This record gives sequence, C-alpha cells and structure tokens, in this order.
Amino acid sequence: MTKSIHAILLILLPFLIGCKPSDPNAAAASYPSKSITVICPWAAGGGTDRLSRFIADQLQSELGKPGVVINRTGGSGAVGHSAGALAKPDGHTITMITFELSTMHWMGISDLTWEDYEPVLQMNADAAAIIVRADAPWKNLNEFLAAAKADPGKLTMSGTSTGGAWDLARAGFQLEADVPVEAIRWIPTKGSAPSIVELLGGHIDAVCCSVPEAISQIEAGQLRTLAVMSEDRLLDYPDMPTAKESGINWVAVGWRGLAVPKGTPEPILQTIREACERIITSPEYDDFMKKNGFSTEIRTGDAFSQFLADQDSQWKTVIEAAGYAK
Amino acid sequence: MSVLSELFQLHVLLPWLLGMLFGIFVGATPGLTATMAVALIVPVSFYMPDPNTGLAMIIGVSFTAIFAGDIPATYLRIPGTPASAAATLDGHQLAKQGRGRFALLIDLFCSSIGGLVGVTLLILIAPQLARFALKFSNFEYFWLAIFGLSMSAVVSSGNTRRGLLAAAFGMLLATIGLDVVSGAQRFTFSNPELMGGLGFIPVMIGLFGVSEVIRSVLSGFKAEDSNTTNSDKGDSALHSLVAIWKHKFTVIKSSMAGTIIGALPGAGADIAAWAAYGLEQRTSKKGANFGKGEVAGVVAPTSANNAAVSGAWIPALVFGIPGDAVTAIVLGALMMYEIKPGPLIFEQNPEQINAIFLIALITQLLLIPCGYLGLKTFGWLLKLPRSMIMVAVLVFSVVGSFSLRNSIFDVYVMAIFGLVGYFLEAKRVPLAPLILGLILGPMVEENFRTGLIKSEGSLLPFLNRPICAFLVLLLIVAFISPLLLKRIRRKPAKLV
Repeated sequence: MTKSIHAILLILLPFLIGCKPSDPNAAAASYPSKSITVICPWAAGGGTDRLSRFIADQLQSELGKPGVVINRTGGSGAVGHSAGALAKPDGHTITMITFELSTMHWMGISDLTWEDYEPVLQMNADAAAIIVRADAPWKNLNEFLAAAKADPGKLTMSGTSTGGAWDLARAGFQLEADVPVEAIRWIPTKGSAPSIVELLGGHIDAVCCSVPEAISQIEAGQLRTLAVMSEDRLLDYPDMPTAKESGINWVAVGWRGLAVPKGTPEPILQTIREACERIITSPEYDDFMKKNGFSTEIRTGDAFSQFLADQDSQWKTVIEAAGYAK
Repeated sequence: MSVLSELFQLHVLLPWLLGMLFGIFVGATPGLTATMAVALIVPVSFYMPDPNTGLAMIIGVSFTAIFAGDIPATYLRIPGTPASAAATLDGHQLAKQGRGRFALLIDLFCSSIGGLVGVTLLILIAPQLARFALKFSNFEYFWLAIFGLSMSAVVSSGNTRRGLLAAAFGMLLATIGLDVVSGAQRFTFSNPELMGGLGFIPVMIGLFGVSEVIRSVLSGFKAEDSNTTNSDKGDSALHSLVAIWKHKFTVIKSSMAGTIIGALPGAGADIAAWAAYGLEQRTSKKGANFGKGEVAGVVAPTSANNAAVSGAWIPALVFGIPGDAVTAIVLGALMMYEIKPGPLIFEQNPEQINAIFLIALITQLLLIPCGYLGLKTFGWLLKLPRSMIMVAVLVFSVVGSFSLRNSIFDVYVMAIFGLVGYFLEAKRVPLAPLILGLILGPMVEENFRTGLIKSEGSLLPFLNRPICAFLVLLLIVAFISPLLLKRIRRKPAKLV
C-alpha cells in the first residue's frame, strides 16, 4: 500500500512544484519589475514566431528586463490569444495578435474579440495574392475570373485550411468580383508551403497566399502573380498588379500586432507604447522586416483600434456569405 | 577546398560540436524533439561570427537529435523523438537481452550511413527527386499512409486482434480537434486546448514513459517486471560493424527509401522509419523474428529516419519549401542569413550550396564520436538505482510535455495516457500500433477527403494514377507474399 502512495506522490510531485502563489498587484511605478513575456499564438520557427522573438529581444533592451517568448499554440490561434487576453493586466505579458483574432469568434472557435485586449500597435500586414503557374492559360485576373464563372466548380485553389486567412481572402475577393464562392473549389491544406507544392505539381489551379511566401518560385519564373489584394501596388514588387486595377474593390491582408490584456493601467500602457514605437522606427526593425520579407504597415493608438473594428466587420460579412459562420 | 579549410577551424568546429552534443541531449530526452532542438539553437546561431558556423550548428543539431532519440527508445523503451518509436521494438528487445550497447552501436553507424546516403542523393539528384516528389498529391499520400497503417498488424507482437484494436483507438484519438478539411470541431467540448487535437508528444511520453514509471513503482523497482534494463554485456564496436556488414543491402535499401520519403513534403522521418521497418519485415527471410530482437529490425528504421532528414532538405533547397517541421525552421534561419533557397540558389549561390552540402556530409561523420559519447553517458546513467532513473524519466516527461506548447493541459494529457498505457499493457494490448494509428490516422483521413474534394467525389484517381497503381500493387504483394512464401516453404517440408 505504501508503494502505491509513493507512486501517487511521485506522480503528483511535478504538479505540486508547478503551483505557486500569484503575485500581489505590481505597482505601475516600478514597471517593469520582472521579465516581459511575449505570447506567440503560433509555433516556434514560423514567421509570427520570428517577429515575436525579435520584439522580445528589442523590448529587453528598451525596458531593461529579460524578454521571453512563449509559444502557446493550438486551436487555430485560439489558445494563445485567450492566454494573452486572460493574463494579469500588469504589462508583463504582451501578446502578438494576428489576423485570426478578427475571424475566430465569427466561426465559433472562440468567444474572444479584439475588445478583450488593449491594442498597442500594428506592425505588419501582408496582402493576399492570387498566384498561378507561369504556363497557366490565364494571362490576367479577368481571364481567370471569366474561366471560373464560365465553368463553376472546375477550378481549384488552395493556400491554407478551410476557413483560414487565405481562404477567407479569396472568398471575399470572389464575392466582390461577383463570382460565387463555390465556383472555385477550395482544397484545404496545412498552409501556403504545401499549397505551393500542389500548385507546382499541377494538382491545383491557383494559390492564394502572400507574395513573400511564394517569391522564390515567382522570381525563378515558375509561378506568376495575377493580382495582389492591396490598396496600392506593393513597394517591393511594383510590377505586380492589384485587384483594384481590374476593378475589384477588395483589400485583404494578414496582419500582426501587439496587445496587452484589457485593464492594464494607463501609465504602464504608455510605457509599452513608447517602447514599441521606438522599436518600430529603428533601422534594426526595417532591416529585420526586409530580411524576412514582411511588409511593414504601422498603425498606432486609435488608428489601430479602428483597423481592428473594420477587420471585424469586413470578415463577418465574408464568413457569413461563405457559410462558415457558427 | 577553401570552404573545407574554413570549416576545420576551431571557431567553427567548437560551436559545431557543442551544437551536436546539445542535439544529442535534447534528442535523448523524452519529449524534447528534434524540431525543438533546432528551434532552440537557431537564435544562438545568429550570434556566431560567420554564416557557416551558424549553419554548421543548425545542420549538426538537426541530424544528431534523431539518432539520440533512439537511445532512450532502446534502453528504456521511451522514444526520445517521434521518429524513434520504431526503435522501441527490436532495439529494445536486444537491450532486454543485455545487448543494448550492441543495438545502439548498430543504430549509430546506420544513422551515419543513412545520413551519408541521404546527403549524397541530395547532392547528386536533388532536382530530379524534387520533381518526382511533386507528382505526389493526396491520392498518393493516401496509399502511403494506408501502407504505413497496414504495418500495425506487423508491430502487434503476434497479437493481431489486439493490435488492430490499438490502431483503431489511436485513429480515434487522432480525430480530436479542429478538422483540417471542414474546420468543424470534433470532440473538443468547446475547450480551446483540445482544438489543436491531443498533442502527439504528450500522448507518446505518457504511453511509454509514465506507464513505465507506474509499473516500476508498483513492482517495487524490480528489474524482471520492468521494460527497462541496466545490464549490458558491453559488446565491442566490431561486433556491431560485422552485424551491419551482414545487412549491408538493408542499410542501403532503407536509406534510399528513407531519402525518398523524406523528400515528400507530406511525410517525414517518423513515417520513413515505419515504412522501412515494414518493408524489411515483409521482404526479409527472418521476417517472423521481427519484434523479438532482430538486427534487421534495428538497421532498417534507423537508416531510414536519418536519411529522411537529408531527404527533407531536397524540397527545401530546390523549391524553398520545407519538407518537415525542422526544415521549416531552417528555411526561416537561412533567410536571416540572407540565403534564399529556391530554384535559383543553385545558379546564383553555388558556393553557399556547396558549403551546406559539405557541412551536412561532415556532420554525418562527426555524428559517430558525438553519438558514442551520448550512448556511453546514457549507459553510465542507467547504472544508477532504478528509482532514481524513474524520477528522472518523470521529471523529463513533465518538462517535455509542458515545453511543447507551454501548456499544463498537455501535462495532464501525459499523465492520463500514462494510466491508459499502464492498463493497456496490463491487458496485453500492444502500444506500437496505437502510435501508428495516431500518426497515420489523420494522414489517411485528410488525404482521402481532400482527394475526394479534388476529384469531385470520384474514387477513380485513387486507382488509375500511375504512382497510386504502383502503391496499390505493392500493398497487395506485401500482403500476399508472406502467405505464398509460407505455402511454398511448407510444401517441400511435407514431402520430406
């Protein structure tokens, strides 16, 4: 019997060690009083993770306390986003919020919205693009859309899972272009990389993803961009036409930004805002973004809040029209 | 040759070897995977003075962690990485016979050879292999996964019915979470932690590691009731080399198969190891001895999984598209070094490519001393009292489960599957098929359903595409040939 009690204690031991009493209220005056945690809702090694690690590193030199990245993955970003929103609002936990925050609550994955956060600033936005093989029969966007309309359900397209960022981007785009969502069949994959493989192998007709994700194939002349869903032509790729130029008034971006939990005291929020603004105006930031192929798009204060509110309503419409609403 | 002399300098070699030892440590720790080892070393590599040193560290780590995962799999029957699960079969059986060192030396040499074959194929025919890999779509991946799944009968240690039950249970567990195809939630009970599905690592550590701790504690740490071993006859390296020489064709065959599977963006080192194991079991004359400590059962999966690591570099370098989670991280790191892998790199940056090839080749050779140090240290640690080993296993199991997603939920999952594993084994249900079901279940389902979306509901492409037809044929032959062989062999026996 004592053996089994030992066994139970042995098994419980790590859990007991794991529990510790929570911190009493940290005073705003002494902020930051301990290490700063940046929650990344996506896996280590991906683009969002790289950006999170860069920011944590920079925050460390700005605020003088260690910056640590924690990857809280799972649930299409729901796990990390809720962990970040529910963290203690003392400014020691900052979340790298992403596009999915605007869509997951409409799809029934989470109850969380951007209003559960105190937005800090937007750092980046990568526009969606429609990319085809270089030898594809469609010379431009209008020919592609005409083909989709003429033979509904024949063309296939991919880029991510069903209901993921690039699926919603192309669904909204089709609605705007007056091509029914089902007219192009969406082939779910685990992300842009496997989709590009499928496209190169000739198993699908087009991919919807950001330009940097496919740039090495585009530069090698294997793939071709039909349209970028941005306001204006991309600075780095001025030869790629926008959807707007073909008369389709549609903009869709995957974005990343920083936020802290609702209820963070104003003086602390101010300190974080100032630190982050110094980071994104530094030459190191420009250099980092360039090397990674991320487009910089910065919104601060009310402009970011307005952007988040707009995103929320933009994607609500698309999600309902595409039949993904829950 | 200037690259070579550049690589053999202390400021390159030292971080390189340290990185590889770090890879050994992470890989040998249950729950800490090769992916994690690479993710952890990448930020460190940026502090290195020149890109080649950083690259050497990253490449070094990516190749060592997979071998190191076989060390605890062999000695303790706890796979250090998912790609090492096959080593819990014959490698572990050999360890139970007191020949763990013998098995691991075979494992080490074969890992090195597998890696060398993989890198050589990468250098010689990367573009061709990459183009071949492009032919694989959902239809082909479906059959590949079915082939893997059919192995659950092989690895159920003579108990086919219980084995199939375990495989089905594994497949059922794999359905938990957000369905990739439709985005629907399955068995999540609105718990966001469950939306990503049960973590494969916590389940694996629970089933193999924690269940072992429970069993050990309940039996009062008596050796005979345990799956672990600390007696070792201490075979010399020569014994292992002789054993490998007897299986030289298995090594080459498995390495080639591993490279090809690794080059497929939809399959990685774990599937390569199982496929090589199954292929060898079906074609070997000693197939019936598999799972009982057969040398070929050690050689095949370990040659294949290291070859698959090289294979994964093929689409990464040729297309700039990662072949697995490790190369995904490596590609990100390469961008920071301003190296852009992709179709143009071979023309625009041949020097860089040659440096990468050279680093990868030398890494395979450095693996032998680093790996030897690892298995020696591990063997030495096993001489500690069993109770202490079990405490260490438990601590690392918790750390490993937690660190994967920084989630205490995963620690609970691990604890629950510790109990599940304990009860299943008590009822003589084999665990290896459960792992197979868990890995391959989603691959079968997603590829089948996505394939049907592509074909608009027609089953025909699953059969009439050339590679599909070949895989189906292979599957049929694999199933019928053991029966036929039995017949053929039995008949003359009766005549005499």
